[in-house]
Amino acid sequence: MQTLQQGTALFTGILVLIGTLVIIQLWLLTAALEAFLARSYHVLIPAAASSAVLFVFNALLLRYVVTFDERIRREGGRPH
Amino acid sequence: MSDDSKAATRWREDFPVRWDADHYLTRRELTKFLTLGSGILTCATVALAIAPRDSPNTQYPALLIPSATRLLPGTSLLFRYPTDQDPCILIKTGRGELKAYSQVCTHLSCAVRFDAEGNTIACPCHRGFFAVEDGRPTGGPPTRSLPRVSLETRADGVYAIGMEF
Repeated sequence: MQTLQQGTALFTGILVLIGTLVIIQLWLLTAALEAFLARSYHVLIPAAASSAVLFVFNALLLRYVVTFDERIRREGGRPH
Repeated sequence: MSDDSKAATRWREDFPVRWDADHYLTRRELTKFLTLGSGILTCATVALAIAPRDSPNTQYPALLIPSATRLLPGTSLLFRYPTDQDPCILIKTGRGELKAYSQVCTHLSCAVRFDAEGNTIACPCHRGFFAVEDGRPTGGPPTRSLPRVSLETRADGVYAIGMEF
């Protein structure tokens, strides 16, 4: 039960973190689009690389969530 | 089985989700959805990075700008180039140099004007300003330079020969 409560807080924190990173990625996309239209092409590669890094981080967080959830299911708790 | 119960059964087959479960979404599903969005945003940003890039200088058929040779210093005239849908502004500076730019503001596409007193190109919509010398933004909301029209002076007048973005 304690693990379940900790998991709820943890999942909420991870959700907020992933949501924040997605918003940053959205900002990166708009900045890249603006730079593309302004023909400031030197901005595009760093923006794409940063976005890819954030995506990998999000994917790792998702993997952690799924693994955690499966462990809770195995232990008979309620999934998140 | 009555007709009503048959209809209810068919309705249940078409919409198997219970009403109270309709808005149910686990945090895990929301996390998956957000990560999918993250992947889509990454793909879009990478697509922009590898998209074909326009050359900064684009040549178009030469177009004679009528009355350009009779322009007085500190004045401007409007013309359209390279198509009739592309308004441009030709400016003769106080030093007698001819400068031409797209008249479309790079902020929100209002028509820019030459301000002779301030020796600047001004956008009246949101008070954006551009330098007469090179079209770079000098004030207000615009962040991109005005596209410059390449000019060539020939025996019979001044011609627009291309755009520099």
